[in-house]
Amino acid sequence: MRKLLALLTAFLFFTGQLFAQKTITGKVTDEKGNPIPNASVMVKGTNTGTVSKSDGSYSITVPANAKALVFSAVDMSPLEVVLGSQTTISPSLKPVESVLAEVVVVGYGTQKKKEVTGSLTTVKGGVTADKPVQTFEQALGGRAAGVQVTIPNGVLNSPPVFRIRGTNSISLSSYPLIVVDGIPSYTGDFSSTAASGNALGSINPNDIESIDIAKDAASTAIYGSRAANGVVFITTKKGKNGKARVSYNGWVSFTNVFGLPDLLNASEYLSFKTSAVANNPTASSIVYSSVNGPDGQPTDTKWSDYIYRQGFSHSHSLNVSGGSDNTTYYFSAGYTDQEGILKKNDFKRMNTLLNVDSRVSKIFSVGGKLAYSNEKNLAATTSGSLNGSAFNTGGLGRLAFVLPPIISPYKNDGTYNINGAAIGSANIAGISSLSYYNPVVPLDLSRSNSENNRIQANAYAQLKPFNWLTLKTAYGIDYLLVDNDIFWTPVSADGYSFNGYAWAGAEKYKTSLWTNTAQFEYSFLQKHNVNLLVGNEQQRRTSSGYGIQRQGLSDLAYNVVQAGFTTNNPADLVLGENYLLSTFGRLNYNYAGKYFLSGNVRQDEYSALGVKKGTFWGASAGWEINKENFWASAGLNNVFSSFRIRGSYGKVGNIGGIGDYTPYSTFGSGLYGGSATLAFSSVGNDKLQWETSKKTDIGFSFGLFRDRLTAEFAYYKNDIDGLILNVQQSPSTGLPSSPPQNIGSMYNKGVELTLNATPISNKDFNWTSSFNITFNKNEVTSLAPGLPYILTSTSGLETVSRTEPGYSLGYLWVIRTNGVDPSTGKRVFVNSANTNVYYQYYAPTGTYNYSTQPDGTVRYISPTNATAISQAADAVMYANTQPKQYGGWDNTFRYKNFDLNVLATYQLGFYVYYGSNAGLHDQRWWNNDRDVLTQAWSKPGDANKLYARPVYGDNVSNGSAMPMDINVFKGDFVKLRSISIGYSLPKEILGKAKISSLRLYVSGQNLAIISKYPGPDPEVSSNGNTTTGQGVDRNTAANARTILIGLNVGF
Amino acid sequence: MKLVYKYILLAGVGMVSLNSCKRELLNPVPQTSITDASAFSTVSRIQSQLLSLYGAMKGGGYYGGRFVIYGDIRGEDFLNETSNLVTGSDVWALNPTNSATAVLGLWSQAYYTINVCNVFLDGMAAGGSNVVGAALAANYIAEAKLIRAIAYYSLLQHYARPYADGAGSKPGLPLRLTGIKGTGASDMARSTVAEIYTQILKDLNEAETGLPLTYSTAANNTTRAHRNTAIAFKTRVYLSMQQYANVITEANKIVSAAAPFTSATGVTHALQADITNVFKTPYTTSESILSMPMTSTSGDNPGTQNQLAYYYSKVVGTGEYSLNPAGIIADAGWTATDKRRTFISVTSGKPFLNGKYTVGSPYTDWAPVIRYAEVMLNLAEAKVRTTNTVDAQAVALLNAVRNRSDATTTFTVASFATAADLINAILKERRIEFLGEGLRNNDLMRLLQTIPAKGTAQSKSPTDVGYIWPISATELNLNTLMTDN
Repeated sequence: MRKLLALLTAFLFFTGQLFAQKTITGKVTDEKGNPIPNASVMVKGTNTGTVSKSDGSYSITVPANAKALVFSAVDMSPLEVVLGSQTTISPSLKPVESVLAEVVVVGYGTQKKKEVTGSLTTVKGGVTADKPVQTFEQALGGRAAGVQVTIPNGVLNSPPVFRIRGTNSISLSSYPLIVVDGIPSYTGDFSSTAASGNALGSINPNDIESIDIAKDAASTAIYGSRAANGVVFITTKKGKNGKARVSYNGWVSFTNVFGLPDLLNASEYLSFKTSAVANNPTASSIVYSSVNGPDGQPTDTKWSDYIYRQGFSHSHSLNVSGGSDNTTYYFSAGYTDQEGILKKNDFKRMNTLLNVDSRVSKIFSVGGKLAYSNEKNLAATTSGSLNGSAFNTGGLGRLAFVLPPIISPYKNDGTYNINGAAIGSANIAGISSLSYYNPVVPLDLSRSNSENNRIQANAYAQLKPFNWLTLKTAYGIDYLLVDNDIFWTPVSADGYSFNGYAWAGAEKYKTSLWTNTAQFEYSFLQKHNVNLLVGNEQQRRTSSGYGIQRQGLSDLAYNVVQAGFTTNNPADLVLGENYLLSTFGRLNYNYAGKYFLSGNVRQDEYSALGVKKGTFWGASAGWEINKENFWASAGLNNVFSSFRIRGSYGKVGNIGGIGDYTPYSTFGSGLYGGSATLAFSSVGNDKLQWETSKKTDIGFSFGLFRDRLTAEFAYYKNDIDGLILNVQQSPSTGLPSSPPQNIGSMYNKGVELTLNATPISNKDFNWTSSFNITFNKNEVTSLAPGLPYILTSTSGLETVSRTEPGYSLGYLWVIRTNGVDPSTGKRVFVNSANTNVYYQYYAPTGTYNYSTQPDGTVRYISPTNATAISQAADAVMYANTQPKQYGGWDNTFRYKNFDLNVLATYQLGFYVYYGSNAGLHDQRWWNNDRDVLTQAWSKPGDANKLYARPVYGDNVSNGSAMPMDINVFKGDFVKLRSISIGYSLPKEILGKAKISSLRLYVSGQNLAIISKYPGPDPEVSSNGNTTTGQGVDRNTAANARTILIGLNVGF
Repeated sequence: MKLVYKYILLAGVGMVSLNSCKRELLNPVPQTSITDASAFSTVSRIQSQLLSLYGAMKGGGYYGGRFVIYGDIRGEDFLNETSNLVTGSDVWALNPTNSATAVLGLWSQAYYTINVCNVFLDGMAAGGSNVVGAALAANYIAEAKLIRAIAYYSLLQHYARPYADGAGSKPGLPLRLTGIKGTGASDMARSTVAEIYTQILKDLNEAETGLPLTYSTAANNTTRAHRNTAIAFKTRVYLSMQQYANVITEANKIVSAAAPFTSATGVTHALQADITNVFKTPYTTSESILSMPMTSTSGDNPGTQNQLAYYYSKVVGTGEYSLNPAGIIADAGWTATDKRRTFISVTSGKPFLNGKYTVGSPYTDWAPVIRYAEVMLNLAEAKVRTTNTVDAQAVALLNAVRNRSDATTTFTVASFATAADLINAILKERRIEFLGEGLRNNDLMRLLQTIPAKGTAQSKSPTDVGYIWPISATELNLNTLMTDN
C-alpha cells in the first residue's frame, strides 16, 4: 500500500516537470586542481550521464527534476552535488585513500578514526605492494611506531621477526595475531624443508587495501586470549561503485648478495694455514698443497660464486573491480616468480582473489570472499640460515666461507670433487675427511621444496531490520595444504650415508570459524552516541599429516620419492585439533564527539589449556580537548588544529603456540627390536592457563598549522605474568621433556612518537614526511623458582643467549677476554674472578693448556677447582640483543608527474653475536677472514692483535668452542630500506589511449646501510622468531640488495 | 513488513543454532599417545612400557651406539679421522668440556633410562603389579632394576673416579630411586662411588632373584634380561670394584669348571665356534647375553651419528675412527690368520674395523652389551688376581677365547712365566676380542691405568684432568647441589 502511494506521488511529480531541462557545465579536478579526464558525471538515480574531457571539462543536460549529480573517477571518492539553481559545478574530487583513512578496522567492524580511543596505526596496503617481498610484513618495518620487523636472512619467504611493542612472550609466540578479512590467519614457517614457507606468503601484497595495527589493550581486547602480541587486521580490496576498472601492476627485479666476508685466497691460505700447522708439533702430518686446475693454473676457488647468484624476479598482478549500487566486486589474479640470492632458492606464487558484496534488499545483504593461492617454496639444500640449521654440515651460508680455496668443486676430469659424503681434499694430507660437503653436488642434484595450497574463503549474511540494529553471521574457512618434497642425492653430501634419501609429507591445516554479531547504534538527546556490539564465535582448527621417508635409492636415475628405494619409514605424522569458543562485546560511547569511552570484553574457552576459561577486557577513554570552550577561549585553537588525549588499560592473553595436548602427561609409542613400546615421552600440566598481559597506554596527539604537522605520542607498558615456561629440570631427573608452567613475568615499556608533516604542498611540488621512533625497554622480572635463567642454544650446539631476571630477553652470555698476549700470542681469558688466564691449544711438555702465566708453566686452577675456562663457570651477562630504539623515516616527494619515495629504517642500542666470525678465525683447516693476515699474532711483541697465534686445530682461542666477547658487536644500523622513483604519464596523453593512469618506476631495496657491524648484515637472526635467541648471527647466509623496475597501469 | 518478520525469524533460527557449539571439543583426547592416567591400566600397556625401558637404554646416545663408542675411543686402539666434536673427537682427545655433546648426551639419556625405570617401578607398586599378576610383575620389576643398575654402572665409568681410587670414596652420582613426573626434583647431591655400586649390586641381586631362567625365544634371550644376564653383569661390576672373589663367585654360577665352558642353568651360554656369527643376523647366538636389537624402521635404530658402523666402518659408514696402526692391531701375537683379523680391512690406505658392524644405513647392527666371552675372561682375570698364580682354569678360559678364532695358537700353563704375564695376556685378549665393543675404557678405569697417547692425543695419567669426564653443564646449571669433577 505504501509502495503504491509512493509510486503515485512520484508519477504526479514527474509528469508535472515533464519537459523542463537545463544544461550544467564545469570542470572536474583533483584536490590540487589538476583536471581529471574520463570522470563520470551521472544524474543521480538515472542512467543519464557523460564523461569529462581530457581537460576535465564536461557539459550535461539534466532534467529539471534531477536532484543531484554524482561525480566519480578512478581512485577518487565519488562526490554527490545537490542541484540548485547553479549551472556551473566544478567539483574537486578526493583520492579514495584519504577518505578511507578516516575509517579503521577494529575487529568485527570498523570505526571512524577520530572516534578510536585505543592505540591503533593504519598502514595503507600500497606501501607493501610493488616491493620485492614475498609477504606484506617484510615491508612493514619502519612504517609504524611500535612495530619492529627484522628480516632474519636472505632466504626467500622466511618469516620476519615481527614484534609489536617489544617481545611479549618467552616460550610462546610473540608474533602478532594476523586477522585477514575477519579470519585469524596461520602465521610462521609451515615448510618442513630447507625452503622457508611463511604462511602469509599466500596473500598477494597488491591485494591489500589496509593494514591496521592494534597495539594496546583497548584495541586488542576483542581478541581476548590471543591479543597479547598485538593484532594486525588485513583488509583486502573490495569493489566500488562504478564502471569496471582494470589495473595491472608488474615489476622485474635483480637481486644480489651483499656484505660477504673477505676471505684468504689460495696462496694466502696455503702460507697462513701452513704456518699454523708448523706451530703444532702434533699436526706435522698435515700438509696443504696447491693443485692446478684444468687450465694449468693453481686452484683458487671462490666458494661464494658457487653458492650465491644474481636473482631475477618478476611479478604481475591484474585486477578488475567495479559495481553497481547494489553489488560490488573485486577480482584479482597474481603471479610472481622470484629468485633468491642463494642458488635454486625460488618463490613462485599464483593467486586469485574474489570479493563480492551484494545488497539484496534494503535490509538484507550478503557477500563473501574466495581466495586461492599456490606457492612454491624451492631450495636445493639447506642454507644453514633457518632456525635450527645454523650448524648443518651442508649449510650453504657457512660452506661459502669455511671451505678452503685450494680445493676445487670439480676434479680436473670434470667430475665432482668428493670424498664420500664430504668434499674431496686430496691436496690436504693428514686429514682423511673435511666432513663438510661439496655444495655443488646438492645444488645440482638434491631438492628441498615445499608447496602450499591455500584457500581462504568466507561468506556472510547481514540483516539491518532497523537503522539502529545490524545482525551479521559469517562463516569462514582457511585451509592450508602443505606438500613437502625432499630428495638427497646418494652421490655425496646429506644423502650419501643413506645411499640416497627422500622425504615427502603432506600436511593439512584447517580452520573454520563461525561468527555471529549484533550491533546497536543509537544516538539520543542529540549528543549521546552509543554503539554496542555483542557476538559469539567458535573457531576450530585441525591439523593432520602423513608422509614417507625412504632410503637406499635403487637406481641413480631416480630422484622422486615414488621411485625405488630399499628402506621405507613413516614420516611427518601430524595430528592435532583445538577449539576456541568465545563470546565478546564492545561498547562505545561518545558525548558530542568530545568525550569518548570504550569498553571491550571477551571470554575465551580454549581446548589446549588445563584451565579452559578466561575473561579478557580493555577500557579506554578519549578527550577532544580542542572542542572545549576554554581551549578556544584560551586561543589555543590558533596554535593547534586538533588536540586529543587518550588512555587505556586492560588485560589480554597469549595462547599462541601452546601444543594441542599440553595439559596431559603422555606416553608415546615406539619400538624395541620390532616390538611395541610405550615410553614416558611428555610431561604435561593440567593447571596450565594463558599468559596474561596487562597493558597500559596513555597518549596524546595534536595537529599544528591546519594539520600540516601532526604528532602522536604514546607511553605504554605491558606487564606480562603467568608466562608459560617449559621449566627444564636437571637432566638427572630423567624427565623426557621440560614441564610447562605459568610462572615467569616480564615487562615491556616505552614511548612511541610519530611525526607526520607536509612541509611543502603546492600544485607542482609536494613533500610529505613521516618519522617514527619507539623507545622500548624489555626486562624479565622473574622466572621459575630453581630456574635462575634460561639458556637458549643456537641449533642445539652453541649457547650464547641467556634470559635472566633483571635483564632483557636473550642477553648475550659470553666469556670475557683480555686480548692476545703480546709476548706469546696466547688468548687471554678473563675468568669469573677477573684474573687473566692464558690459553694455548698445544701444550708443550711442562706447560698447561690453561695457565695463570703467559709461559704456561703454572696450571690454572679456578675458584671451583676446574683447570679450564668454561662458559658455565666464567661467562658473564654481556650485552643486550633487544633494540632500545627502532623506527623509520618515510619521505615522499612529488614534482609534477614525478614521485620519489625514500624509506630509511633503523634499530639502535643492541648487540649481535657474530658467531660466524669465530668460524672465520678457527684454526682447523677452515678458511679464514683475510684480516688474520694483519690481525693474528705472529711474532713476540705483536701488541693489540685481535686473534691468537695460529696453531693448527685451535678452535678455542678465537671462539669456535666457547662463545667469547670478541665476537660480540654493536648491531646499530640505519638502512636505506627502499627508495623508488616514479613517473606518471600525463593524463592528456593517456586519455587518447583509453588508459586512465600509467606509472613507471624504479626502486631499490637495501641499497645502503650505515653500521659498524663487521658481518654481512646486523639485521639478522640465526634463531628465527625465537624470543630468547635474537641477536645471533651464526653461519647465516647474507642478505639481498635488489633493484626493481615496475609499471602500474589503470584502465 | 512481512519481509522484515521473515528475516527476523531467520535471524532467530541463527541465534538458536549458536547454542549448537560443541563443548566436547574443549576436551580433546590425544589420538596418538596414552595419557598418564591410564598408562598402567592394561596388561599390554604395562608390557609395552617395560620394553620402553630397554628402548631408553637402546637410545643412540647410550647403549644403542655412543656409550659403546666412547668406551672404545677413549682408549689407544682408535684414531679420530674427522676432528668432529659432534662425533666425539673431544672424547677421543680426552678433553671434552662440560658442555660437550658426549658429556651432555650420555648423562641425560642414562638418567632418562633411570627415571623411566623408577616411574615403572612406582607404577607397578601403585597397581600395575595387580594388573599383570604376581609372576609377571616379579619378572618385570627385576628387568627394570637390571636396566637401572646398568645405567648407574655406565654413568660411573665416565663421570666418576674409578672405584680403585679410594675404594669408592670419591664423589659418585645423584642416586635417584623414585620416579619423577613433574617439577621440583632438580636438586640432589652426589652419593659416593661406593654408595652407587652398593645400589647397583642390590638391584642386580634382586634382579637375579626375580628374573626368569629363560624366555621362549632366542631373540628374547638376547634382548631381554634373564637370570644369567644379572649374574654376568655382576662379574663386570665386581671386576670394576676389584672384588675378584665376588667375580669368581658370580662367574662360577654360569661358567663350568672346565672346557667346553658353558652355563649349567638358565640360558645355555657358550662361545660360538665362529665369532663372526655373533655379529650377523639374527644376532641371537647363545654367546650374546644381552644386545640391543635394531630394525630398519625409523626410531628402532640408533639414529644419525650414533651408529657403530657409521663410526667404525669406512665401507658403509663415514669412518669417523680408524684403527691405530700402533695399537692392538700391531700386536705380533695376534696372528694374521686369527678370525678376528677378518673384522679389519684397509680402506683409503687406513685400517678400519669394517667387518664387525657391517650394515649400512639405517645401521641395524645390534649393539652388544655383554657377551659370554667377557664373563669367561672376567673369571680368568679374577682367578689369577686372587690366586696370584698362573691359574690353570684361567689359562683354559683364555685359551678357549683365543683358540676358537686362532687354531694355531694354544695357551698352556707353560706359556706364562708369571701371574703378571698371564694377566697381561688376558688384558690383551680383551682388547682383541672386544675391539669396538666399548670395554677398553672400563678396563683402563678399573685398574687406574694411564690412558695411553695415540695419534695427536696426549696420554692422561689418573691424576690428569681429562682422566674422567667433567659433569654435564646442564646438570651443574640446574642442580644446585651438584659438583663438578
